[in-house]
Amino acid sequence: MNLIKNIKANTKPKYFTNYIIVAVMLAVTLTMKMTGNLARSNATLLAQISYSIILAVSLNLVVGFLGELSLGHAGFMCVGAYLGCFVANMLHEFISSPLLVLIISMVVGGVVAAVFGFIIGLPALRLKGDYLAIVTLAFGEIVRTIFKNLKAFGGALGLDSTRYKGNLFVVGFVVVLVTLFIIQNIVRSKHGRAITAIRDNEIAARAMGINVTYYKLFVFVVAAFFAGVAGVIYGHFATPVLYSFFSYNYSIEILVMVVLGGMGNITGSIIAATAITFINFQLQTRLSGDLAALKFLVYALILIVVVIFNNAPALSAVREKFSIRRFLKSKRHPSEVHDDEAAWDRVPTKIRMDEVLSVDVIVDDPYTPDKKDPTTKGGSN
Amino acid sequence: MKKVLALLLVAVLCLGCFAACGGNGNNEDPANKADGENYAANNTEYVIGCTGPLTGDTASYGISVQNGAQIAIEEINANGGLNGIKFKFDMKDDKATAADAQTGYDALYEAGMQVSIGSVTSGSAKAFGEKAAEDNVFFMTPSASAANVIECGDNCFRVCFGDPDQGTIAAEELTAKYKNIGCIYDSSDAYSAGIYDAFKAKMDELKVEFNTQSFDAENKKDFSTQAEALKDCDVVFLPIYYTEAGLIAKAFAAKGSEADIFGSDGLDGVADQIDETVTANIKYITPFDVNSEEGVTAKFVKAYKEKYDGATPDQFAADGYDAIMAIYEAMKAAGVNDVTIAPSELCDKLVAAVTAEDFKLVGATGEMTWDATGACTKVPQIVELN
Amino acid sequence: MTTFIDGLSLGSIYALIALGYTMVYGIAKMLNFAHGDVIMVGAYAIFSTLAVTGHPLVGVLVAVVICTVLGVVMEKLAYKPLRGASPLAVLITAIGVSYLLQSIAQLIYGSKSRAITLGNFESIKIGSVSISSATIITLAVGAVIMVTLTLFVKYTKVGRAMIAVSEDRGAAALMGINVNFIITITFAIGCCLAAAAGLFYLLQIPSVTPTLGSMPGIKAFTAAVIGGIGSIPGAMLGGILLGVIEKICLSIPVLAPYTTAIEFSLLIVILLVKPIGLLGKKRREKV
Repeated sequence: MNLIKNIKANTKPKYFTNYIIVAVMLAVTLTMKMTGNLARSNATLLAQISYSIILAVSLNLVVGFLGELSLGHAGFMCVGAYLGCFVANMLHEFISSPLLVLIISMVVGGVVAAVFGFIIGLPALRLKGDYLAIVTLAFGEIVRTIFKNLKAFGGALGLDSTRYKGNLFVVGFVVVLVTLFIIQNIVRSKHGRAITAIRDNEIAARAMGINVTYYKLFVFVVAAFFAGVAGVIYGHFATPVLYSFFSYNYSIEILVMVVLGGMGNITGSIIAATAITFINFQLQTRLSGDLAALKFLVYALILIVVVIFNNAPALSAVREKFSIRRFLKSKRHPSEVHDDEAAWDRVPTKIRMDEVLSVDVIVDDPYTPDKKDPTTKGGSN
Repeated sequence: MKKVLALLLVAVLCLGCFAACGGNGNNEDPANKADGENYAANNTEYVIGCTGPLTGDTASYGISVQNGAQIAIEEINANGGLNGIKFKFDMKDDKATAADAQTGYDALYEAGMQVSIGSVTSGSAKAFGEKAAEDNVFFMTPSASAANVIECGDNCFRVCFGDPDQGTIAAEELTAKYKNIGCIYDSSDAYSAGIYDAFKAKMDELKVEFNTQSFDAENKKDFSTQAEALKDCDVVFLPIYYTEAGLIAKAFAAKGSEADIFGSDGLDGVADQIDETVTANIKYITPFDVNSEEGVTAKFVKAYKEKYDGATPDQFAADGYDAIMAIYEAMKAAGVNDVTIAPSELCDKLVAAVTAEDFKLVGATGEMTWDATGACTKVPQIVELN
Repeated sequence: MTTFIDGLSLGSIYALIALGYTMVYGIAKMLNFAHGDVIMVGAYAIFSTLAVTGHPLVGVLVAVVICTVLGVVMEKLAYKPLRGASPLAVLITAIGVSYLLQSIAQLIYGSKSRAITLGNFESIKIGSVSISSATIITLAVGAVIMVTLTLFVKYTKVGRAMIAVSEDRGAAALMGINVNFIITITFAIGCCLAAAAGLFYLLQIPSVTPTLGSMPGIKAFTAAVIGGIGSIPGAMLGGILLGVIEKICLSIPVLAPYTTAIEFSLLIVILLVKPIGLLGKKRREKV
């Protein structure tokens, strides 16, 4: 497959940073574990962080890069969790190594979720914006309702999974690295440029000869695959796998991570996923008893304030004043700035001619790796 | 620049991880403790842990258990605790999910929890129970009635009835007294589905036909359809919780139905949910009669009303109270007198004490005994509302 | 037949909520995820005033006032600063507002569901069918509100300004329309409708909980999309359709557990056949 050919070692600092972040997190925590300094609640937190990052990064591929709003990411996770753990339960009888079972079930859960990703990708070809959003939301709820009624998967009691007894967070972070490797390579390959071209202007992209059908399905399948893998990790983290966890509220929580981290910004997704999981964890474990009701209040306030501060046009002067970028007085290449803060317009209804002409530039610019990189020779298509 | 920012964040996160372990109420930083060490070494009170839904749709059950347990703790402490050592109750929110029950468990364990009343709802009780079984922490759930909860390990016990028992009792009771039987259950709820399955099995065994309607978490507000379908029945069996039961009773009244209503122990508390429009005869199986005028039950109801502005305790509250009392009595019976006792050591003592032949608790939900499976034996009563 | 009438009555609740969604979407181009929770606020307002004054009508008036004010405040504080920002940022803020309202309600009233009695509604028998008078009130008042709203949008100055803003905000501003004012008015009307929906909700389901708005909210959003989001008659049609289908599914025991799945599958099918909803306006994409 062409895709494999395009996967190369990442050398671009921007993407390399992400590996460093994750690797450092893993290294630090692993050292702490080895020296007996890692409290177990923190190991639990890390496992949660690992699957949150996978979810956020894969959703970012759909929302940030393809530019389609998806509210059904938890649905893919649900499929992966149920089927992966179902398979794992059977495999435990034949295979004694829990790690091997975990790996096989992750692949199975991912593949089944990917099949569903393909199915839900089909309406995505015909629908746009909020219509597609509601279809994905509907998909999540349908999946949940079906699993709830399937006796083979435990019905209302949920599917009893076997918890992974080893250090799940280590496996989780390794999977995060694999996820980053694949998704970042997709993004910076010619496929990635085609995907962002579709986001910026579908009609223009089509006119440029990009196979929109193929790429939309491709993105849904890849994102669903990783959501499924995250689901399997979740299933090995908490038992039973219960349908009620995968509600649209959880999909929205993943979306919050993507939006706060910045659309099309993978580093942002990683940081936001970590931060939100961390905040939730702290609020949950610190506030006990009557104070628990305050948890949502605090979370909601943080959410509103952060979003308004980050996005309000009126506050842009203030943001500029307190920006770390300015503080560090670093110079950034304008194209890089453009990529992170890409204006995200889901339904371009009216397009001026100059915008159409500029599409090529917008698409090509942020991802042009080294000039000598042979993958760029063909242009964006 | 980005690198600097990222590294900074990583540093902050790692610091956060360390900070997360500090300030848990112990003077010593528990982060320095490896697995297997006793987190309770610095306790000055016995710590009883619990997780349950304190926010979200099912929050009222978790809050009831918390209130009930708090009454028990206050009562025990007012009487001087155990050999002068007081008790502390710590409850974390788990939104009725397995993942949050686990993180809640870890946080509690590190904060020095020595014994627990587990989780409130069945799904999270399973997660909590498995972790507790690994650490050998005594676990006495007030309300997680699904059969698999007490199967987590030898350390798991419950105060409430098991789901299947109630289904069987109901089937026997109803077939003896009524002809045309209907049933409405919540297909999305473990408790309800568990009772219904047992009920159906028994009805099939007795070869009695009955009509069934169901609803689920997404449609648990509007019951006009179900009421329409079953309005001509003599009796409707409701193996569900009181919130929905109140709405169902009203829906039946609105349809002009005269069917009696027969419920499981979850119906306890329904009295607050209905009004004068409901004329149906409501009966339910319960070990806890809120109108009882004698013994521990009356004392508990009085204390509860005083503390919570006249609110009537439901069965969750009573079970929460009894779970704490059972632990207290068992600790007394086992002769525990070390406040820093390790959870695992305490668990062995408690299991022995609770399953002992002569151990029984007279609590707000009647007289209880336990066997090694973890199930509780107590006498069901059938309470009738007028 | 009874199932059908129950469906109509549930459908008119959905329709009222969907109207709020659709108007706000049409004009402010945002999904107000907190809309369902405005219903909850309305329901609690009725609950509280009923406890104090004992008169349902006073309760309704207070609820309408509180919800309208809430709508305006919500718009000014949370959404107005984000005008011009990415639509997703606004969506996330709306979710934040939704959580905020729910947790405030829980802090004030507790999470236990509280029963409420709005009066004793006799059921009326027409032939073999018995209909609760609450259902009749719901249907009648619902119809009146929808007709009034349609007339308001079509024939008043403000209503026409709303259409103008939803068609093209920039052009409307150039024509001298105060866009900010129109958006605020839209929020006020949407929330006012939500208060009415809260009342009907209580007529059918006489109990209040802090989370009561979320599921009807999401169902109504579905209804709005089925009808074609942005379209007022579409919201009504979608809401009623969804209500009737839900009731029919629930009345068939085999399908009942899958009701939610069936409703949402129907949505997907409709959208696949007609990607803009049943009555949505087709917008040609121009290059």
